[in-house]
Amino acid sequence: MAASERYSGWKRAVSDLLENPKAPIRPYFDIFMIALVLSSVWVLIYEVKHDLGLFGDVFERVAVTIFIVEYLMRFWVFNDSHKVIIARYEKAEFVNEPFRLGPALWQAVKEKLRYMIQPLAIIDLLAIMPSYRPLRFLRIFLLFRIFKLFRYTRSISEFVKVLSEKRIELLTLFIFMAFITFTAATAIFFFEAEQRGHQITNFFDSIYWALVTMSTVGYGDITPQTTEGRLVALALIIAGLGVISFFTSIIVSAFGEKIEEIRAHRIFSEVERKHVDTLVCGFGRVGQVVAERLARDKRTFVVVDPLESNIRLAKQRGYLAVTGDGEDNELLSSLGIETRIRRLLCLTGDDVVNVYITLTARQFNPEVEIISRANQRENVTKLYRAGASHCVAPNEVVGLIAAEYAGQPVAFEAVYGLLTGQANEGMEAVRIKRGSVMDGRRMGEVDFRQRRLIPFGVIRQGSCEDVEGATCYNLQDRSFYFNPGEAFVFRAEDLLVLFGHEYSVVHFRDCLEGGTL
Amino acid sequence: MARRETLIFGCSAMGHEVATQLAERGIDAYLYSSDPDEVGAMLAKGLQAGVVDYTDDDKLCSIGIGKWVKTIFCLFSEEPQNLFVTLSARALDPDLKIICVCESVSSGNKLLTAGATKVIDPYEISGHRVHELIARPYLVEMLENTVFGKHIDIAEIEIPRSSSLSGAPMDDLQLSKRYNLIVMGVVDLELSQELIFSNRGMNHLLDGGDMLVVIGPKDEISRLRADVEEDKLEPGS
Repeated sequence: MAASERYSGWKRAVSDLLENPKAPIRPYFDIFMIALVLSSVWVLIYEVKHDLGLFGDVFERVAVTIFIVEYLMRFWVFNDSHKVIIARYEKAEFVNEPFRLGPALWQAVKEKLRYMIQPLAIIDLLAIMPSYRPLRFLRIFLLFRIFKLFRYTRSISEFVKVLSEKRIELLTLFIFMAFITFTAATAIFFFEAEQRGHQITNFFDSIYWALVTMSTVGYGDITPQTTEGRLVALALIIAGLGVISFFTSIIVSAFGEKIEEIRAHRIFSEVERKHVDTLVCGFGRVGQVVAERLARDKRTFVVVDPLESNIRLAKQRGYLAVTGDGEDNELLSSLGIETRIRRLLCLTGDDVVNVYITLTARQFNPEVEIISRANQRENVTKLYRAGASHCVAPNEVVGLIAAEYAGQPVAFEAVYGLLTGQANEGMEAVRIKRGSVMDGRRMGEVDFRQRRLIPFGVIRQGSCEDVEGATCYNLQDRSFYFNPGEAFVFRAEDLLVLFGHEYSVVHFRDCLEGGTL
Repeated sequence: MARRETLIFGCSAMGHEVATQLAERGIDAYLYSSDPDEVGAMLAKGLQAGVVDYTDDDKLCSIGIGKWVKTIFCLFSEEPQNLFVTLSARALDPDLKIICVCESVSSGNKLLTAGATKVIDPYEISGHRVHELIARPYLVEMLENTVFGKHIDIAEIEIPRSSSLSGAPMDDLQLSKRYNLIVMGVVDLELSQELIFSNRGMNHLLDGGDMLVVIGPKDEISRLRADVEEDKLEPGS
């Protein structure tokens, strides 16, 4: 069975549908099931007073069939029974004992039973059972269908998870409450049950009264008539205030502790949904500048920084941001470093951290492009060795600019403009598409002057060829032709590097694409 | 003590970097800081450095500010120190070139108010570089390998007062054909310090004292420089 590809394919598809929260089909399935649950509960409520006739019956049958199929499928994908049996068999082979089918089957059944006793599985079962005619009295359990919603909505299940982490406190509170209720109920029963005009006839009444009073609800349908009874009530009210405040504080503190985690989860799912492919580690000044430009380009990215204040700033600016260390394995993989993330930027002010993040990320994913900041010149080689694809050294750039200024203060402006991109004038590359107007044309045929552009050069695939009237420099797997002459012939996929005002370049690109050059 | 025209205040990693780059261009710079440990570190790296109390104007005078020093760099990692040195130096010498690094746009404005000639924002520059690497990787690779990889240089060439180029329109020089150089722009020092980019479409009329900013291979630049100095360059037809 394990060998059958079709079988395992099906099983994977079903488990994707039911259990993998990251499967693309999952949200649709969840919404469908929520709608089904809600409408079946609505039908249940409506049928109390009205008769829906055939439609109601059919609808109920369809809903129950879907629920049963879902239950059976969950039962099926919970584990692989054949694997359990095969494991037993192999073990028997290994220790040279005869393989007996009985215990092996029993273990397989035990594994499946483990599924059945899970709380959510019990709820599923209870939601189906009342539809079976002989168990009609269990109709009220149909309400369990509402609990089925736990399966499909993350926020409700998070709520339950938060509460379950506080179960020790809640248990303490429950015991305390049970003790007070029982004491008060006994006392009131003792004082009031035999009085004239008594409202309390049995012990259930006194428990009911005690709970209603303690919870500060106080319906007033049963009130203590004797002085003793009222004294009990006074004591109970004060104790009740304690219980309520205790309960509230448990819930509040539980959420207070968990809220960050829940928020982080939210962000992870948002990162997933928006197909974020860039990770910015470090939201200092450099990180802020980069984030601002990325946002301007409408690229998606997520900011990671250990400093709460930086994260707050990032969120204020409307970026996705998570508090945490960039070198945290768990965080990186939650953000999808292995699969979705294509680019990682290490921009912290600490080279040690940058190297660490680079190394960690590189081990996760050999494909990802890592751009790292190197604050000290000597760390550049270390970063490359750790796996960085590119390094940016702020000090080196400043050194370059400063030296340029000291030597030639006028050319400095041009260099500074090129390096910062602050000026409106700058370099821009324009790709020549196959079959476009420029493809195959000569340099001299295009009037750049009139378009207020200076052709700086052409970047072309492959290494240098001997082209007349242009100096060529080899790049990594491309070549750059500086200042090509009029005879230079453009080819498809060439990158034409132009110098000029950004508007001129945009206009030129539009013309090129529109074929109106 | 040698009279050095270029001083660097602040012996940080940046100071080290700037001093090294200046040395590569043949400019001898002296590093100063008030912290003997930092100075020691620079001396250990083979740079020239000294301890000076920059809060004392007399000390600043004694190292040449207001006298022979032409350019100072304020490269402290702390903003207030940069601001203080800028203010003191500007008070001593109104013509001094003061280049500062700043931490943010607002602190850059403060430094300019205090009298800095140029403010460099290292974070802005680095952020831009990172962004360029993402947005236009080929262009960055090309620039790294050519302009910043020492194949191609950006240079300024002054046109002598007596040059026969005076009065000629810039476009007539046709440097791109005759010298394999691209003219990025020209600065008319009599008008302003600002670079007039040649793509503006204003066919600037050259006159003596103008600075041409050209970009191209080193040998072509020196050829042009020599020709301009010897006045061999004729305005083209």
